[in-house]
Order: sequence, then C-alpha cells, then structure tokens
Amino acid sequence: MKTGSLSLDQAPPLSIPVSFFLTVSLGMLMAAGILLSNGLLALTSPWMSQTLALAHAGTLGILAAGMMGALYQMTPVVAGTPVPFTRIAHLVQLLLLVGLAGFIWRLLGGPASAMSAAIISFKLALVAFLLPVGWALLRPATRNETVLGMRLAVLSLLAITLIGLMMAAGYAGGTFPQNRILWVQIHLTLALLGWVGGLIMAVSWQVIPMFYLAPASGKTANRWLLGMLLAGLILPFMALFAGNTIGGGLTASKIAAIGALPAAAVIWLLHPLLLLRGISQRKRKRKDASLLFWKTGLGTALSLLPIACAALALPDPRWQVIFGWLAVWGWAALIMHGMLSRIAPFLVWFHRFSARVGLEPVPSMRTLLPQRRIQIGFVLHTSSVVLGVAAIVFQSDILARITGLLLLGTGISLATMLIHVLRQR
Amino acid sequence: MDKTVSDKFPVLGDLSPEIVDLRDLEAPGPMEKVLLACSQLEDGVFFLAQVPRIPTMLFPHLKNRGLCWWVHAETDQSALLLVRKEA
Repeated sequence: MKTGSLSLDQAPPLSIPVSFFLTVSLGMLMAAGILLSNGLLALTSPWMSQTLALAHAGTLGILAAGMMGALYQMTPVVAGTPVPFTRIAHLVQLLLLVGLAGFIWRLLGGPASAMSAAIISFKLALVAFLLPVGWALLRPATRNETVLGMRLAVLSLLAITLIGLMMAAGYAGGTFPQNRILWVQIHLTLALLGWVGGLIMAVSWQVIPMFYLAPASGKTANRWLLGMLLAGLILPFMALFAGNTIGGGLTASKIAAIGALPAAAVIWLLHPLLLLRGISQRKRKRKDASLLFWKTGLGTALSLLPIACAALALPDPRWQVIFGWLAVWGWAALIMHGMLSRIAPFLVWFHRFSARVGLEPVPSMRTLLPQRRIQIGFVLHTSSVVLGVAAIVFQSDILARITGLLLLGTGISLATMLIHVLRQR
Repeated sequence: MDKTVSDKFPVLGDLSPEIVDLRDLEAPGPMEKVLLACSQLEDGVFFLAQVPRIPTMLFPHLKNRGLCWWVHAETDQSALLLVRKEA
C-alpha cells in the first residue's frame, strides 16, 4: 500500500487546537471565580443556579473547549479526512465563550436577555462546529473504532446541546420542559456517557498506545464497548418521549436510569479497568507525570457508578453534587489535564521542530516541558478534587472557597504550562 | 504462510533491507528516527522500518523531502514503512 495522499494542509494549524486548549485554563479560572465568589452555595444542591453555573463552567468552559480542540486535531489524523473550513474553529471558540459568559451571567443574577444571547451563540457554535467536523467524520478515509467512537460522541453532543438549549429557554423568559427532572437526567446521561465518555474512550485507544506504549486493545473488545455504549444511550434518549408513567410502577426516569446501565458500565467500569490493565502492561515503564492524571482519573471513574446509583436512589442532595463534582472535575477534567500535558508538547514539537529533524539539531519533545511543571498541576488539581468533596460532605463554606483557590491555582498552572511550551522555538 | 518483505513490497524485487524495529518507541520517537535515517539516505537506497502504527503524521514530511514511501499494515496494528530517496 502506498499512502501519499496526505499533505500538511490536512492537519489543522497549531493555533487551532492550542487556542482551544488555552480556553480550558480560562474555563478553570471561570469555575474558580464562581466558587470563590459564591462559596458553598455553588456546592449545596444541583438545583441551585450557582451550582448550575459552576457545572457549566466545567462542562462547557473546560471539557467542551478541550474536546472540540481535540476533535479538530484528531479527526484528520485518525479519520484521514481533513476538516473543511478549519479556520471557522476560531469563530466556534468565540461563540462558545460568548455563550458561556451570557449563560453564567444569567444564572448568577443577570437579565434574561443574557440567556437569550447565550442560546443564539450556542446554536451558531453548534452549527459551525458540527457541520465541518461531522462531514469529515462521516466520510473517513480510514475506518476504525476510534472514528466510530468520535461519531457517537459528536452525535451525543448534538443531542445534549438541543436538550440543553430547550431547558435554557426557561431562563430566557420562556418555559422549562414539563418534566424538567427527566430532561436533566437525560441531558446528564448523554453528556457524561455519550459525549464525554465516548470521546475519552475513543481517544484513549489512540493516545495510550501511542504515547505510553501500552498494548492496544483489541478491535473486537472495542466494538463490544461501543455497542454497549450505544445501547445505553438509545434507551435513555427514547425515555424522553415516553409519558411520565409507563405502567407497572415504571416511570420514564427509571427506564432512563436502567437503560443507561450498559453505557455507565462501559464508561465507568469496563473501559477504566481495561485501560488500567493496559497501562500496567506498558513495554517501557518510563516515569511520566501525565500518566498520573490518567491513572487517578480512571480510578475516579470506577467510583462513579456506585455514586451515581446513590445519587439516584438517596434523597440527600449531597450525593448528586458529589457525583457531578467527581464526574466533571475528578474524572473527565483530570484526564483532559493529563492529555494536554502530553499532547501540547507533542504538537509544538511536530509543528515547529519535526521538519528540521536530520537537517539540524532539534530538541527532544521531553525537553519542551519539564516534568516538574506537570507534577505541580497534578498536585493542585487532585488537591482541589479532594477538598471539593470534603466541602460538599461537610457543607463547609471555607473549604468550598479554598477549593476555589486551588482551582484558580490549577487554571494558572495549566495556562503557564501551555504558554511555556508554546514559547519554545 | 507468512508473506515475505518482498511480497509486501514488490518494489524491493530481490533486495531485502534490514528491518529497523521502532515499535518500542513512544511518539514522536519513531517519526524522529525515520526522519533522521532518511536524511542520510543515498539516492536509490531503501530504508525499511517497523513502526507502532501507520505513521500518518510522518507522510507530509516524507513528501516535503522528496522521498517515496510505501506502507504495509500488519495484523498487530503496527506497520512496515519502506522509504526510498529517488535518484
């Protein structure tokens, strides 16, 4: 086989993934600001507007920003098809930030018009992101499980954004959906398992063997995981269209919860276990601080299934808040932080130095980012996860605000780390 | 029966260059080694390496350096990469 069809034009310019990655640290600073200014109010009940603001600073400002940047970067490499009109990515980023600012402003006491503006921004961002990325993913030159997982994640993004926007209308002078609790449950299910979990799993199949020399998981196993994930997303989604009570004591909410079990088992049990086993079987067990993020994030994932069950079954709202805090900050964001500390130096090395290899001396990728910087980020991030849990359990305002400080430190640490790497020439 | 390297790359004819195993290198090690080796290639000489996966991100560099390359995907997800500098 001769493969001569790729050109440098197909890979996005460095500025695109990197600007999204820098937005991740901005999202961390936003989340820190919300925690510092609202204290425990943001960690009391999932129905408090301050909690919603904090949660969306995490899911949109941190997770969505990083995941969109990753999709722009990885789609051409993994699928072999370039994302068309890739410069629109900067507009997507701007719209995401404007939307997030309006969204948070409204939830923290701003006018309804702020939410109206946010809804318009999010709609435009969704269209500008999904059309080119979806087009590239639907006609891949290479078909593999990672592409399938990326498709599933992007499809989930479409669903959760539409559901989310319909609920956001309630804050923009409109009405909330009739069964708002069910809508939130399904929004969360598709977001955490389909969008976030699907992408983490699909990306891990590429980056863990590539960067850490862990054995690649088998195609058959990956296809089973994807099948179970898909099955566990369809039923909850269908429950959205069912009536409140189905009969025999079954409610739409229960069906959605039971239906999501296969997906939850894949994302928070099977995939972490398989990946941790793969990591333990690495060919060269070289010390790498970024791997600490993966191991800890996957460990957190293993705690999420029982905590999710407790959150659904027990009346104490702290379970729901702990679940959200750990899922967003202790699992997904931690893994993303680790990935950024490995991928950012790689991209800088690839774009700035690889073309000169063999022609003149170039630095190795490892020298672009000292391990010490990554370790500092890890300590700050994990400390904030633990302290946040303590703040929720003990309902302590002072602990909540210290958690905010640690979050601030984590955001600054990530930003300085990225800037340090970007300054290497 | 397993295919020989010549079966996988008919362009080799009767030649059987040594396979440089780069599978135990984490990214971007394999890319770095291939580019380094290719920068020292003489006209018409082949360089053959086994890399951990199909090296998509390497291809633009090979193209920019005016090198010809062929890839054979192996069943274990690794790939054989054959590079030649045109005379």
